[in-house]
Amino acid sequence: MNNRQRITVLTCAIVFSLVSVVWAVTSPTGQLKPTLQSIIDVIIDDSFKGEGRKNVRRQKIMAHVDKGFDFEEMSRRVLGRTWLDLSAVDQGRFIEQFTKLLENVYIGKLEAYGGEQIQYLDEKIKGDRAMVTTIVPGQTKGLPVNYIMIDKGGDWMVYDLKIEGIGLIKNYREQFKSILKRNDFQGLIKELEKKNKSFQ
Amino acid sequence: MNGFVIKRILLVFSLICLVTGGAQYCSAATEAGSMEEPDWLDDDPFGDEGGNVGGAETVFDPLEPMNRFFFEFNDNLYYLILKPVNRFYSIVVPREFRTCFGNFFYNLASPIRLVNNLLQGDFVDAGAVLSRFVINSTLGVYGFGDVASQEFGLKPRPGDLGQTLGVWGVGEGAYLCLPVFGPSNLRDIVGFAGDSYMHPVGHFNDGNMVANIAFYTGRQVNNLSLNPNVYEELKSYALDPYVSMREAYFDYRVKLISGDQAADGHPQPLMDQEGKYE
Repeated sequence: MNNRQRITVLTCAIVFSLVSVVWAVTSPTGQLKPTLQSIIDVIIDDSFKGEGRKNVRRQKIMAHVDKGFDFEEMSRRVLGRTWLDLSAVDQGRFIEQFTKLLENVYIGKLEAYGGEQIQYLDEKIKGDRAMVTTIVPGQTKGLPVNYIMIDKGGDWMVYDLKIEGIGLIKNYREQFKSILKRNDFQGLIKELEKKNKSFQ
Repeated sequence: MNGFVIKRILLVFSLICLVTGGAQYCSAATEAGSMEEPDWLDDDPFGDEGGNVGGAETVFDPLEPMNRFFFEFNDNLYYLILKPVNRFYSIVVPREFRTCFGNFFYNLASPIRLVNNLLQGDFVDAGAVLSRFVINSTLGVYGFGDVASQEFGLKPRPGDLGQTLGVWGVGEGAYLCLPVFGPSNLRDIVGFAGDSYMHPVGHFNDGNMVANIAFYTGRQVNNLSLNPNVYEELKSYALDPYVSMREAYFDYRVKLISGDQAADGHPQPLMDQEGKYE
């Protein structure tokens, strides 16, 4: 390979990677697709199947989820004003538990559908927010999931999920509000931990 | 004396059934998939209210203590009576039959959906309801099959008086969790009462309460058997199941009202995916 060929190949590589980067940045669906695909790939991977390998599998999946989901944003939104009163340590504890809860609900749902390929139905963009409408085809009925995303410095990050018509963040926000009326933040964390344990 | 005992039994069964109202609404929420959405991109988590994403959308629940009491009551009813009954029913009656019964019950309530779509000025959907009724009552043999959806691509269209009132701009009023009946609100329960006058079953048996209740029980048990686990799933995800169900019901109704045109939020799955009835 002479120098000229090398340069051509390099240029092509650079252009291609740039194009894919730009494309991902501009399209919420384009950015969501690879994240979800890698989740599905783990779910259908035989070496991670079964209840016994759940922990390893979930770890793998969550590593992918982290790239496209903004759990801090979700935690802020789900707690609202309460978030602002928390110490950094408590905020961290909350993010950890709430992430775990979403993992149990959302990944649990996807796993229950056995890694069916996700269909992308619609995309709406409004300023720095976007919604991608998807459905996981199922045997008797599909699982509709809407991903609500926000543009974070050029990256579209999921900050809310609507599973089967139910807005996850709003639903949990109202639940947490109700719990915080009769309990303090430490009590809420304890209930979250208890809930997460119930999935094991 | 014997008649009295039978009436008693029917009454108990009727109680059983209505709790499914809750499960039914939830499952309906689950089915309504891709349609016009209320605007999900319009929220502000740290707005003036602080922590009120989509501020106006807080459910008005002044009767919470009473509602919570009935929620607990329904919860017990579900686990103590409904679930065992449903388990037995699902074993005895094969799924194909249950699907057919579900179609039959759904078809029978067509007048309600027809009138309400007309009241909402939605003539396209009203036409679809009418066509579905005619096709399914004849080709579908008394409504046991859903030929209209499979052969003619006519999907079910929802329609109830609570929804109509919502389209007309009537607010929900206070949230209600009713014993046996499940989640509702002031507007929807008024609508439910109005709709019940349009249901044919009442006109066939001379206002015989027991027959009505027996019919309703059968329908609800059958519906539950087609959507098992909905309630239990909601409970497994929730830290406060009462609030979770309240919000889910609210979302479901808002969607039916605002995104009505494309909505597909009928309460029961009307067919197997394979769509086979033979």
